[in-house]
Amino acid sequence: MSPDLFELELDRWHAAAFGWALACCAGDRAAAEDALQATYLKVLDGRARFDGRASFRTWLFAVVRRTAAEERRRAAWRRLLPLAALGVRADGKPDPAALLARSETTQRLAAALARLSSRQREVLHLVFYEDLTIAEAAAVVGVSLGTARTHYERGKAALRQLLGEDGT
Amino acid sequence: MTERDDRELRDRFQALRREDAGGAPPFGATLARARARGAGTWLPRWTVWLAAAVVAVVVVLVGARVLFTNGRQGGLIDLAAVRWEAPTDFLLALPGEELLRAVPELGRSPHFSWRTP
Repeated sequence: MSPDLFELELDRWHAAAFGWALACCAGDRAAAEDALQATYLKVLDGRARFDGRASFRTWLFAVVRRTAAEERRRAAWRRLLPLAALGVRADGKPDPAALLARSETTQRLAAALARLSSRQREVLHLVFYEDLTIAEAAAVVGVSLGTARTHYERGKAALRQLLGEDGT
Repeated sequence: MTERDDRELRDRFQALRREDAGGAPPFGATLARARARGAGTWLPRWTVWLAAAVVAVVVVLVGARVLFTNGRQGGLIDLAAVRWEAPTDFLLALPGEELLRAVPELGRSPHFSWRTP
C-alpha cells in the first residue's frame, strides 16, 4: 500500500481510532492523542506493516492498542524519573473536562466499564462501540475467538448487572 | 441476555461514541504532530543496534578490566604487612619457649634461658 493510500485509510478511520485510543488509555484524552500520533508515525514510516491478513481497520486498531500500551509503560517510567515534574504529561486518568461534557447516561456506562476486566472492556468496546465482529475483536486483542467470546458474554452480563445496580 | 438487552447496550455505546467523536482532534493536525514528532525524535533502526553494540563492548571491556585487576590484587601480598609487629608482641614471649620450637636430640641437653626475653 502506498503512503497516500495509507493516509486516506487513516483519515477514513480516524474518529473510530481516536475512540479506540481513548478506550485503551482509560479515557485520558492527552494519552489517547499521544498514542494515536505514535501509531500514525509507525504506520507511515513502516515500523508497523500492514500485511493484508486482516482488514485495515482491525490491523490499525491492533497497532493502536499495542502503541497505547507502549506509551503507558513509557509514561510510567517518566513518572519515576525526577524530570517528569518538568513537563505536562499524560497521567493515565480520564480528562476531567471530557467527563463533565458527558451526559449522565454515558458517564454511568463509562463508570460501569471501568469496573470490568480490561479484556472484557476491550472486547465489548470493539463490538458495541466500533461495530466489529467478535472474530475481529479477537484479532485486535490478540486472543482466540473462543476466549473473545467468553470475555464478550461475561463482560456483557457483568455490565448489565452493574448498570442495573446503578438503577438505569 | 436478550436481543433487547444487546440493543440497549449498543445504544449506550453509540451515545458514548457520538460524544467522543465530537472531541476527536482533526486528522490533519494529528498527522502533522505525528510527523513533527517523528522528525524530531525517531532514529533509524541501525543507530539503535549500533548503540546496543557500543554498550555491549563497553560492558565487556569494563568487566574484563575489573576481573583481571581483582585477580592481580589477590596475588600480591605487601611484605610490610607480613613483617609488621605489634608494640605489645613482647608480652607474648615467655621464658623457655625455645623448648617448643627446637627439635629434641638424644645426648644433648637443650640450651635455653629461663629469663624473660
